[in-house]
Amino acid sequence: MLTEKMEEYLEALFKLSCEEEPIIPTRVAEYLGVTSPSVLDMIHRLEGEGLVRYSGSARGQGKGRIHGRHRKGISLTPKGNRAAKTLVRRHRLSERFLTDVLGLDWESAHREACKLEHVISPEVEERLAEMLGNPETCPHGHPIPDEDGHIKEDAEEVKPLCDLCANEKGCIARVDEEEPKLLQYLASLGMLPDVDIEVKEVAPFGGPLLVKVGDTQYALGREVASKIWTRKGHRKAGRGRHKHQGQGIKKDRDERGTA
Amino acid sequence: MKEERLEEVEKIRRKAEYIFALAGNPNVGKSTIFNRITGMGVMTANYPGMTVELNLAMTELDGHKIGIVDLPGTYALGAVSEDQLAARRGVLQGKPDLVVVILDANNLARNLYLLLQFLDLGCPVVAALNLMDQAERSGIHTDVELLSEILGVPVVPTVGVRGDGLDELMHEALELAESREDYPILPFSYAMDIESRVRRLMELVEREIEDIPYCLSPRALSILLLEEDEEFVSAVRDELGGEELIRESIDIAREIKRDHGERAALIIARERHGIAGSIADNVQERGEFERPSLGARMWEYTTSFKTGIPILLVIMAVIFVAIFWGGGQLAELFAEFWERFIGDPIGSGIESALGVSIFSQSLKWAVDGVGAVLEIALPYLLVFYIILALLEDSGYLNSVAFLTDRFMHKLGLHGRAVIPIISAAGCNVPAVMGTRVLSTRRERIIASFLIVLVPCSARIAVIMGAVAKYSGWALALLMYLIVLVLVISAGIILNKIVPGESAGLVMEMFPFRRPSLVIVLKKTWQRLKDFVYIAAPLIIVGSFILGLLYESGWILKLTGPLKPLMEGWLGIPAVAGLALIFAFLRKELALALLLVLAAQAIPGVTEGSSLLEFMTKGQIFTFALVNTIYIPCVATLAVLWKELGTRDSLVISASTVILALLLGGLSHLVIVLL
Repeated sequence: MLTEKMEEYLEALFKLSCEEEPIIPTRVAEYLGVTSPSVLDMIHRLEGEGLVRYSGSARGQGKGRIHGRHRKGISLTPKGNRAAKTLVRRHRLSERFLTDVLGLDWESAHREACKLEHVISPEVEERLAEMLGNPETCPHGHPIPDEDGHIKEDAEEVKPLCDLCANEKGCIARVDEEEPKLLQYLASLGMLPDVDIEVKEVAPFGGPLLVKVGDTQYALGREVASKIWTRKGHRKAGRGRHKHQGQGIKKDRDERGTA
Repeated sequence: MKEERLEEVEKIRRKAEYIFALAGNPNVGKSTIFNRITGMGVMTANYPGMTVELNLAMTELDGHKIGIVDLPGTYALGAVSEDQLAARRGVLQGKPDLVVVILDANNLARNLYLLLQFLDLGCPVVAALNLMDQAERSGIHTDVELLSEILGVPVVPTVGVRGDGLDELMHEALELAESREDYPILPFSYAMDIESRVRRLMELVEREIEDIPYCLSPRALSILLLEEDEEFVSAVRDELGGEELIRESIDIAREIKRDHGERAALIIARERHGIAGSIADNVQERGEFERPSLGARMWEYTTSFKTGIPILLVIMAVIFVAIFWGGGQLAELFAEFWERFIGDPIGSGIESALGVSIFSQSLKWAVDGVGAVLEIALPYLLVFYIILALLEDSGYLNSVAFLTDRFMHKLGLHGRAVIPIISAAGCNVPAVMGTRVLSTRRERIIASFLIVLVPCSARIAVIMGAVAKYSGWALALLMYLIVLVLVISAGIILNKIVPGESAGLVMEMFPFRRPSLVIVLKKTWQRLKDFVYIAAPLIIVGSFILGLLYESGWILKLTGPLKPLMEGWLGIPAVAGLALIFAFLRKELALALLLVLAAQAIPGVTEGSSLLEFMTKGQIFTFALVNTIYIPCVATLAVLWKELGTRDSLVISASTVILALLLGGLSHLVIVLL
């Protein structure tokens, strides 16, 4: 029998694994707001239950070597994945119930659902889904796995920037967080998730890339480009309130001008 | 946090009524504007990171004395790279009365980010919208008044190279400085939830912290804490007793992360970019269709691999030929002029006026020293400096950085390091300072070591003026090959042994600009001036001292201990060894003194042809090789020490001396065997 705590870890691991596999323990610690030793402690317990696999340190030892996608870390076993999905399903179904039926706001619904997910039995789960009309998403728009654990999601292909060809356009999905300084530096240049990026030139033999972001071109070394993950197509609507904010500024000004 | 004041800034503060800081992204023409305003000669170039330390100067406007601080170009004021830190220190510790932010009109959105950050910090700001001419040419029109209205700060359109608008800029700045209020009113706000959390933290800051470091506004400190700025977080926690506050700020940052799925620092950066982007959209209009300019198309050729590499090779060949041939032609011209009109008449003049004595003879050595400066050093330097200025000003070095990135990885560096290494061929001193654009210490150590091995213009003058001229161009070329192999193998070895990590290349690429003739000539003159004012007097005094030693016979006592090393190991005359040691002051001294020595050592022979009678071709080669490799000069040693500390600078210096002696000995051995 899993404890509530273990279930919470499973859920966190599942969410993190959607972003990147395998997961490094510090990411989990950061995500749950706990210390790294307690993460490791729990990971070993989950490992004992056959729910996760954990292989060694996630950091390479080589100097400035590119680790590519062969890094070590935590990953969910199929059994763990299945258990996590059930939890996610229960959480999201509860959220739907709390908002649609009981009329709670999203924030409280999320908090309550965190508690409910651990006590819902398979039977209640089934009835809940039935009553709600087998919803596909939670109130926040995240997909709800069906009872077999399948998630309907337009499978988006996420690949590192360095795998793009010349003249290919994409959108930054995320930047590896292992190097906060790099992340911060790229952020100050405007290379943030959900920003469009265009590859202009790829130097052969593992050379650098020439990319265009906004009006500016940057040279990015291959090892830097391997840490920037992109997906196809343009920026999703709704994030980074560019246009909206601009109008806000202008309106304020106009009002001030007439006052 | 110790509130250190920047010593240099304090020095000019005593004299100045106001201090203005110049800030801006790299390569927006900040140094050009600084030079225009202050009449100073700071080097400028078309690549990022030319200014890596604070430049200071005084200027006067309407009877007010104003100190100007030129901050390093930077994209942001974070704590993630040396240039950002330097700019930040300049603002926080330098405490300017206001900041003049220079914006590139061609790339307003990205440039506004820094300005917003200054406003967040609570600095009074005046903005210069620079490079207006280029923007207009590419069809970008900016509503300057609207921009100024939205930002709530004065904005002045400028063209730095022509000096347009700078007068108005300074007057606006002065007006603001005279009427200064405490903190500017922020013209923007972040998303509601971020804003309300900042306010929550702000209230805590106001309650708990009495003396906010650097007199920042509570809002500024709150934002820095949410951004998890290491410096401020540790200062508040450890020195201001704000453990509670930090716990709270961590909680708030975590809340933001939970809501947005991103770290608070990133969300704030995103907000700033969003605001900057929408402001730029509001005030700028772009022409519908722009044909890529000639510069843009050429630029594409130089960065594309198939065309870029051949272009690079051709350019390198052209440079070598220009220096060798052009410099040689000029040298002959100068030599003829010198001998006919100045050198010989003065020489005989001295003798007839003062008679023959140790003193008059030594004076004649000094005159020969002047001749050596004119005949050898100056012509080669002149040609080289013009080429270097062209390379820097056109922006071609950016393309080189891009092309060589892959290769530089083998040396433990990345493409960006190639710029200081190439500019080291001008002078090692600014090149070593230029390594600050590299983000890790490991990279800076490797780059500095390689820079020191790159022959600077002074050593080029020696190679050209001695080896190419007397031993033939093939040997000069061989010398370059040896140095090239040395630099590469040193890099490969250092990559293996220097501990630490190397970062990757992230560099903004700038399209070509047509080099401005005025700026190229100015830069050439600035560099030559340095040579004429500092090196030439040294050479003349050095020649005089050597003359005194020689004429008085002291020289034998001094060269005695050098004999085994110089004659035995390197196979060159011991007096030539003395020239090598003098060259520690300035590398040109080696050749100048050698020529003077030769002219005096063999009586009756004129300066031009004498060297070959004093030393063989092989000896000249060995001499120049040792001179090229051993620790560059006292100025480079000083800057190494300043940048890397005692231990690493000593290790680098000692290694170069050992390398020089080893290779010199090897060269002697080969010559003997042949």
